[in-house]
Amino acid sequence: MSYTLTGRIQSRLVATLPPLLVALGIHRWWAVELVALMLLFGLALDVCVYDRVFDYQPGWLAFPLGALELGLIVLAMRMPVTWSAVGLFALGWATAQLCSHALFPRLHLEYAQSGGELGRLGALVAAAVAAVTLAGIAGAVAVIPPTIHLHGVVQGPLVINHAQTLVGGTVRGGIVIRASHVTLKDVTVIGGENGIDVEDAEHVMLDGVHVLGVTMDGIHVRRGSVMVEDCHVSAPRGPWVQGIDISFAMDKDMSMIEGCRISGVREGIVTHWVMADITHNHVSNTELRGIDMGEMSMGTISHNTVVDSKGVGILCLDHSECTIARNTISRAQLPIQEQYFAHAKLHKNTIED
Amino acid sequence: MRCAIVGSGLAALASYATLRHAGVPAEEIAVFGTHADPTAVWRERASSIHQQRMRSESDGHLAAAAFPGLAAREGTITAITRSLVNRYHPTVELFLWHADQVRRRTGWDASFAERRVAHVRAGEGGFTIDGEGSFPHVLIATGHPGLVHLPGAVHAYEPHEYAAKVAVVGAGMAAATEWRNALAAGSEVVSIRRREPLRRPLNVPRAYFSKRGLAGFHRLAPAARVAVLHDLGQPSYPPGRQWDIDLPVVDAPPPGYQVIAATGFRKGWREDALLADLVATHELDTHDRFLSLEPDSTVPALTNEHRTLSIAGVAGQWAFPAADTIAGAKYAARAFTRRVCRTR
Repeated sequence: MSYTLTGRIQSRLVATLPPLLVALGIHRWWAVELVALMLLFGLALDVCVYDRVFDYQPGWLAFPLGALELGLIVLAMRMPVTWSAVGLFALGWATAQLCSHALFPRLHLEYAQSGGELGRLGALVAAAVAAVTLAGIAGAVAVIPPTIHLHGVVQGPLVINHAQTLVGGTVRGGIVIRASHVTLKDVTVIGGENGIDVEDAEHVMLDGVHVLGVTMDGIHVRRGSVMVEDCHVSAPRGPWVQGIDISFAMDKDMSMIEGCRISGVREGIVTHWVMADITHNHVSNTELRGIDMGEMSMGTISHNTVVDSKGVGILCLDHSECTIARNTISRAQLPIQEQYFAHAKLHKNTIED
Repeated sequence: MRCAIVGSGLAALASYATLRHAGVPAEEIAVFGTHADPTAVWRERASSIHQQRMRSESDGHLAAAAFPGLAAREGTITAITRSLVNRYHPTVELFLWHADQVRRRTGWDASFAERRVAHVRAGEGGFTIDGEGSFPHVLIATGHPGLVHLPGAVHAYEPHEYAAKVAVVGAGMAAATEWRNALAAGSEVVSIRRREPLRRPLNVPRAYFSKRGLAGFHRLAPAARVAVLHDLGQPSYPPGRQWDIDLPVVDAPPPGYQVIAATGFRKGWREDALLADLVATHELDTHDRFLSLEPDSTVPALTNEHRTLSIAGVAGQWAFPAADTIAGAKYAARAFTRRVCRTR
């Protein structure tokens, strides 16, 4: 088809209506962001490239152009590309094809000869889609949690009871998180009973946190789901300190602990009745277990390094289902143990003296 | 009667189907023509040159809406895949079958009256057709005025066989088809042509089928537009291996050769008695052999808010360079339908 520039833009905007409605319907920021990026890149390519290069656009060109647009969006999105995101993009692409080859020519007889322009009604719908997309972005931006930068040392305990992003600084006496959609980034916590205590909160992100000198748990999660990345837990005060304990949240989203360094505690990483992915962590000098997936938990323990554990290196306990793969356990009293009706699948672990 | 179509060929059927699709009742449309079967003339020409496949693509059919196209109607993966890469050309058989469906579905026969129209005259609020009427909206789709015959030659579009030695005059689609036919029949073939043929998939470059190319075309001054139309009117046939035929080119038919004139049709409004009469009576604007039209294929001097005179088919090239194609017929038909429906 030989599109005019107006025709390209109108066709793209109207064909974006279904994915836009899906994105607004599922109430997820990533979906709104994806549809906005689809429109942004699509319209930019329409104006700057397609209109100049393609006097005529054969049907097959939709495949490589779709791949190009997907590639640009993947590069632009600041988050891992999930199947859901690819599915939403595919919905947008398929809708565009369906519209341009079947629906528009059927509903607007002059569609092809008008170069893709959709007449007054089409222009109205296109404008509405553009407006709804902008409104959706504005709405989504409006509810993005505020970001608070901490400077210096703050005397805690700090209680967080609404969604926000906390960046930097040092908190003495611990942080209690009681709201979902909270992010702690590069925060250092010194002292307190539990360093970071997450209670009944989901979609909590702990990124690059340092926890020192606590008396109970470095990171303590109950009835919640968290993503913990690149954390440090060390210098415990007392013999009962656990590095990370995530418990009693099997009915919540899966938690993830990745890239953490934990040392000198009684137990490094502990779970009870949760789904968890424990990967690429370094646990050393524990008085008891290095990593303990217990009490009907389910999950993966992979690519971790456990060094100098005085008890069990990795323990799968009490009806839990554990996949233990590609871990390195050095100088543990008992490297890997499956106990009390637990079921562990082992794969390519390395045990060193 | 709200409107009339003068002509009974493919363009007339496409126009009729478009009007019916827009909800104009059959009893409000009169069709005047020489053939009850709108495919009759075209069918004979296609049969004469043994045409198997259309030059047009999936959307080259006579129904009002482009979708579903003929590839979708054929319903095979091969057809749809070929359509995606612009390699799909429906068979003549499928095209004619579908045209017959359109004829039946739209009620063409109920509106058709067999008559060779000699005069269309503008009057108060409409037009009379050979003194009958008035019709507020009239679309003239009389088709090609006739074949260009050469003395001593059989025309490609008239039934013929192939002798042992054949000279084909011309360099367009019909000529290329005749080269293939004659070679397939075992004939020795030579080509007589004034210029090397153009190779392009459709009659005109694809941009001229949409507003993208048409907007610029419509902005051209008359002299420039005439030049473009002459240029676009040069004979052409599609690229592709099956059309790559290397033949000896000669200046005149060698003795003993059967001469086939693939020389196409007579051109211009003067060659069409009805249009010539219309131009003379109403002193219409013309440029060279082209009747001056608005971009929506209407005759400006005879069209106002109450009445419409539109031209579909080859005589509508001033508005749409590929007016003699199915896409061209639909272009005029859609604009005509818009006006008919607006003044309902």
